[in-house]
Amino acid sequence: MSTLATDAAPSLGADLGRIVGAPNVETRPAALVPYRTDATFGFSGIPWAVVRPGDTEEVSRVLRFANDRGIPVVPRGAGTSLAAGAVPTHGGIVLALTRMNRIASINPIDLTAVVQPGVTTQDLARAVAEHRLYYPPDPGSQRVSTLGGNVATNAGGLHGLKYGNTAGYVLGVEAVLADGQVIRAGGQLLKDVAGFDLVRLLTGSEGALAVLTELTLALRPAPATRTTGLAYFADLKAASNAVRGVVAAGILPATLEFLDAKCIRAVEDYAQLGLDTDAGAMLLFGDDGSAAEVERTVAEIADLMREFGATSAQVATAAAESEALLSARRCALPALSRLGGATMLEDVGVPRSLLPELVRRIDEIADESGATVATFGHAGDGNAHPVGCFDPGDHEQRSRVAAAFDDIFAAAVELGGTITGEHGVGAAKLPYLEAQLGSAQMALLARIKQAFDPVGILNPGKLGS
Amino acid sequence: MSAGDIFDAEELGTCISCGFCLPSCPTYKLTGDEASSPRGRIALMRAIDHGEVDVFDVAAREQGSFCLGCRACEPVCPAGVPYGNLIEDLRNAQWKGRRRPLRIRPLLSFADRGRLIRLAGRLRRHARFSPPSASPATAPEGSDEILMLGCFERSLFPAVSRAAAATLPGIEVPQDQGCCGALHAHNGDVERGEELARRLADRPGRIVSTAGGCAAHIAAVAGRDRVVDYSEALLDRGSLPGPILIDGRPARIGLQDSCHLRNGMGVSAEPRKVISALGAYVEVPGAGDCCGAAGTYALLRRKDSRRVVAPKIAALAVLDLDFLVVVNPGCQRQMIGVLRRARLRARVVHLAELVALAAAEAEAP
Repeated sequence: MSTLATDAAPSLGADLGRIVGAPNVETRPAALVPYRTDATFGFSGIPWAVVRPGDTEEVSRVLRFANDRGIPVVPRGAGTSLAAGAVPTHGGIVLALTRMNRIASINPIDLTAVVQPGVTTQDLARAVAEHRLYYPPDPGSQRVSTLGGNVATNAGGLHGLKYGNTAGYVLGVEAVLADGQVIRAGGQLLKDVAGFDLVRLLTGSEGALAVLTELTLALRPAPATRTTGLAYFADLKAASNAVRGVVAAGILPATLEFLDAKCIRAVEDYAQLGLDTDAGAMLLFGDDGSAAEVERTVAEIADLMREFGATSAQVATAAAESEALLSARRCALPALSRLGGATMLEDVGVPRSLLPELVRRIDEIADESGATVATFGHAGDGNAHPVGCFDPGDHEQRSRVAAAFDDIFAAAVELGGTITGEHGVGAAKLPYLEAQLGSAQMALLARIKQAFDPVGILNPGKLGS
Repeated sequence: MSAGDIFDAEELGTCISCGFCLPSCPTYKLTGDEASSPRGRIALMRAIDHGEVDVFDVAAREQGSFCLGCRACEPVCPAGVPYGNLIEDLRNAQWKGRRRPLRIRPLLSFADRGRLIRLAGRLRRHARFSPPSASPATAPEGSDEILMLGCFERSLFPAVSRAAAATLPGIEVPQDQGCCGALHAHNGDVERGEELARRLADRPGRIVSTAGGCAAHIAAVAGRDRVVDYSEALLDRGSLPGPILIDGRPARIGLQDSCHLRNGMGVSAEPRKVISALGAYVEVPGAGDCCGAAGTYALLRRKDSRRVVAPKIAALAVLDLDFLVVVNPGCQRQMIGVLRRARLRARVVHLAELVALAAAEAEAP
């Protein structure tokens, strides 16, 4: 599979160096080690070269070069994929876009930002905040993840219920096709129906159709204030019912997140935030907007929580307290990783109304399999992150977790849900995709892939392969 | 040593590869190359540990020495990876014996043997004068503290040692103390580094340090509770002198954090608190980012060191400070050079020197 790694590496480096400059190409095996993996446990591949292009023209020339020779190209931002989307499973060239990290413009009237793909989510959020604007998608890895990666995976975040995920903010893209041709789709237009919606197609295409080299993103005016509250429940089912109650009352809060009992204990052990470790489940809720509006909404949600069986519900009184509560949710995964050493994180989703049933089945499956599975997620979005914790050296534990996840995927699909709400398919979930999409749609994906990338060089072994 | 014995298996296993360390790493910020990020270096260490990459591989050695060892990745790591230990272990394997960079060999033997001890003895006499009568405060009752003087501070900045002793009344300055071993540990001799730190730790009492690099190293060997930074010891004593007036207004004072003090010891609020009493404190943007001194780094990789510090020059140029305070001798040497080259007027002083200056002003009629 990767014979090129040894046979062609010397000339490959020189050839690529002529395109992007020698300092931006690396072929020495030791220097390539970090590009074998991303943030997904248990997936790796051996790249033949890593290339760091500086502009669209260089991306185009690298792709033309690779396309002519049938060399796989794996686009990469910060390598924070949780679905092995950035792992070079078929070898080839890792195209690291981190040097393309310029914010080209922020337009406070059109409410748009034009950025290169290597800008981090947080850098954009901070830059637009200076103009009193807001870029809502905030995936857990926002400090490090790149916007190119966010768009390529249609990343979510903690504010999906009110604001949606990344796709809602992509107005236009510049993309390089596998053969090096550069296309522009969409732009600074709020209305544009000229042609098939390629912007939407390329959003979430996981680097398998084209390489995104520029993004035009929509912004919102920054809300004046944000407040967060916290409610405890006897179990996740009760918490999920409270979520139904809130939505049924006509409220769509900015944040509605849940942690199960195992997560609460792990987070408290890790971060000592003073959480109630006897609770069976915890809901974090919050809203943003004008001060008066937020105060009223959050108080109303707290009342609804109590009405729907919360053992307690309180609202943060200061911004710092709000931030501490949100950090409880953000640190859930690392806190869990301390339980067993390794974690397998999943990302199943169902219609919001079926979340209690999904969570019930996850617990049942975990109990039956004997695997340690803790669950947190976006209650408002019907998106759950069951996390399997295991000792990486213990193969039996690991296979128990893997078996439990097979069942959890099946349960999600059976409930009309999805095997991945926001992390993407990557190499990790490709084997499960057909169960959700069916064979006709799988074949259609392959034909779409074929139309964009006839030789099949772009991120092979992932979507459309 | 076989490749599998270089690292502590548990420490190496802690990393969950989430990548949250990337934006905190100065060398990743410079290059955008994951090979020069903490997660990338850990991936490399794992490959070395598994025998897939030779520890002496050129690219592997390059990463071992390109890392500043600033440990800025540690406070942001959700999994709690002790990266500082891991990079020390890597250098311990890579820089053994003949492979140790030529330029640091004389430094290590200097810190290790007679010449420095003799020099230090001479300087320590300067450090042994009695505190001024209007000294800021008295020692906390029942405290048993010894002042540990960094070897490089003693030779490069003896005035700092004198000021520290003078402004911490009641503190004992042992005459026979040697090097704490931080230099060894950071430069490929972990064993010797630990041995030297233990010698210091065998003495009774709380060790007070004026050098962030030394403090973090001793704390790693002897325990955090045995070591405090000068600023902590000073705050324990209660009242502070000040403010320092320049043309009738409080002096504008900024701080350059010491990476090991901030990331290794968790001390960053304390020096700021002290400075706020001494004058008008000004937070320098990026004060917590490495200044590029990084122990011997500025000597070994001068160009990279200057690339790392470059963003600070622009930040400092607009602030018009009277003083830039440092809390580690390596940073002091680096920032003196940086400000001189940039022709900025701010005086670079160690916190102890500034406290001594404020105390002297208070004493003056």
